[in-house]
Amino acid sequence: MSETICISIDGKVMAAQPGDSILQTRLHGPEAVTANIGCMGQGVCGSCRCLVRKAGERETVSRLACETEVEDGMQVSFIDYYQPDHVHRYRPHDLRDGWQALPQLQQTFPETAHCRHCGGCDRACPRGIPVQQGIALASRGELPAAAALFDACIMCNLCTLACPENIRPNHVGLYLRRAQAIQNLRPGDLLRRLDQQARGQLSIDTTAHLARSES
Amino acid sequence: MSTAISYQQACLNRASHATPPLRADDLSRAALLAQHHPDHAADASTLLQIGSSRGQPCHPRLAELLQSNALIDGFDLAGAEQRSTDVLVLGGGGAGAAAALTAARGGATVMLASKLRLGDSNTVMAEGGIQAALAASDSPQQHFDDAMRGGHNCADPQLLAQLASDAAGVIRWLIELGMHFDLTDASCDGGKLRYKQAGGCSQPRILSYRDYTGLEMMRVLRETVELEPGIQLLNRCPVVELLSHEDGSCAGAVLYDLEYQRFIVVSARQTILATGGCGRLHLQGFPTSNHYGATADGLVLAYRLGAQLRDMDAFQYHPTGVAWPQRLRGGLISEAARSAGAMLLNGLGERFVDELAPRDVVTAAMLRECAAGRGIERDGQQGVFLDLRRLCGPDQPALASQLPALQHLADKCGIDPMREPMLVYPTLHYQNGGVVIDSQGQSSVPGLLCAGEITGGIHGRNRLMGNALLDILAFGRRAGRQAARLAQAARNKSSLPPLRGGIEHVYRWQRQLALAGLDASQQAPLLYPGQARLTLHRPASARA
Repeated sequence: MSETICISIDGKVMAAQPGDSILQTRLHGPEAVTANIGCMGQGVCGSCRCLVRKAGERETVSRLACETEVEDGMQVSFIDYYQPDHVHRYRPHDLRDGWQALPQLQQTFPETAHCRHCGGCDRACPRGIPVQQGIALASRGELPAAAALFDACIMCNLCTLACPENIRPNHVGLYLRRAQAIQNLRPGDLLRRLDQQARGQLSIDTTAHLARSES
Repeated sequence: MSTAISYQQACLNRASHATPPLRADDLSRAALLAQHHPDHAADASTLLQIGSSRGQPCHPRLAELLQSNALIDGFDLAGAEQRSTDVLVLGGGGAGAAAALTAARGGATVMLASKLRLGDSNTVMAEGGIQAALAASDSPQQHFDDAMRGGHNCADPQLLAQLASDAAGVIRWLIELGMHFDLTDASCDGGKLRYKQAGGCSQPRILSYRDYTGLEMMRVLRETVELEPGIQLLNRCPVVELLSHEDGSCAGAVLYDLEYQRFIVVSARQTILATGGCGRLHLQGFPTSNHYGATADGLVLAYRLGAQLRDMDAFQYHPTGVAWPQRLRGGLISEAARSAGAMLLNGLGERFVDELAPRDVVTAAMLRECAAGRGIERDGQQGVFLDLRRLCGPDQPALASQLPALQHLADKCGIDPMREPMLVYPTLHYQNGGVVIDSQGQSSVPGLLCAGEITGGIHGRNRLMGNALLDILAFGRRAGRQAARLAQAARNKSSLPPLRGGIEHVYRWQRQLALAGLDASQQAPLLYPGQARLTLHRPASARA
């Protein structure tokens, strides 16, 4: 483990331990890390997205730095988050009427129909989600099938960055998943408990445990 | 490090039992905790010397930060950008998002400032699920009883009763925002909820979404906040100090804008701290499952302003952190694995504890095995086995569909969980104590509310699985609602923008530090846990 290798992070050459992730290497650097970092290895927050090029290769791929092991000669460039200048606003209660699902999707994300099938989103996704297929299904009105494809999306926004038509595919996916829950999820257990509590039933005795601990 | 059984030998011992035997226990739970839980180590507690909880026990590392000097001085505020809002929410996890959404819904103008980025938090990393007593056989009373017992009867009964009673309303709110939950029968109209068993609970009560419940929750909350016109979002703006009025009440906060490297002074009618816990302090030398930002910032600032704290010597060490490989050390394996039947084995191939006992008990039992030389050593890392064989039987669905996050983790470890056990060791997971609050999230300082892991009292001295996700939403919403109400009342009295505060409380604090002979050169909050410290920008004229 004493052998060290060199990688370049945002233009600065750093020594790295083989087996470490890109993120761990960056944390050993001289500067305080204040962005592109969150869950530190679980791979769920999407903050540490970066572009990676391996030594001797031409292709640049997008990766999560916390899940990617360093290799000698690797070049890494972190991708900042920014607030996009224009997003389509909607509110959860706008999604309640399932009969309006398709026109509403078209109104909220009109770019969805403009997909030119370049595959950029698929290549960008660190989770291997077939993003382009999801967008194709959505624009055809196959909403549940489209929603299901985005189940494991971590909202890293790499597909949104990659899309030349500004489709924002991960946000379309999340919109469809949310609409599904908002329209369909009415568990009987929950309805009954809410009703019981609205009637003032099931209040809690906050002293019962005292009697028990004395006995 | 004490002696341990080699990985190879432990694998042989494990293979020698078709059904691992459960060793009979010779210690009561209380004795086990007293002898082996990290909270009870001789060097795990000291008494606070100054502040409103003076004389109370606290972990020494945390006490250092609580009794430290401010990062800023009065001249940092001169020329800083001034802003004002009805409600200022500090913290971008689940509690902050819930508070901000509820306050905005209550008609307040809301500013949400986050040190990292909205959603980069422990919430998004939560895997197991959220407790809600919804099943016909269950009740809020049973939920209350389980959590009270799990917390060693130390919880504030009023807060805990609210936690249990709020659960149904919280789940409804999450569904209204578009969150999914696991169902047993998706074809049933409206869905039939699936309940999982949590350690220390009398019956299955955990609602989940696969084993990435927190991700599902946080992506929905983040999208809702980002699309909410009533909330102004400030990412990468850590809070460096709170502001006070002459009467000692909270007047807002000073933020540091990392992008422009300057201070922002936010005057607020009500301030909500939702800055989470302190896992990145690596208390007692333990690894942590917490995210990068968990450095107790809000706790330090609230205490400096005069808020009372409780149970600052009670921490949760989650039993199943990754112990091998070293680079993933501390990463979490959800309790959902044990809930589904995973076993803990020592180096002799024996089970040594009920895997679904409360977390502090399981952790203490694991540490006892390691201390007694029955732990397992692999490449210098010590732990016990988490054996997944019962999840991998022929009649079981594939692990990748039961627990996809665990399968993903096993892949990263290079382990085939069908054949090989995982090496696990306790990992610092949760701060049980924190700021004392009332039923609406109000701290002992007027104008300052708190929600989420920063608060204390809800869970007593040990939290049960699934009660954190419930806590952040139940009390995040309560704090948001209360802040909007109070801000409205203040606006009714005076339509002028909120009054500007100052940092008089910091000067008072510095006098107390000096009187107590404490080191005033130590500054906090830490903001970022790495070795390299961030230097806050100061005007050239003020540089030393």
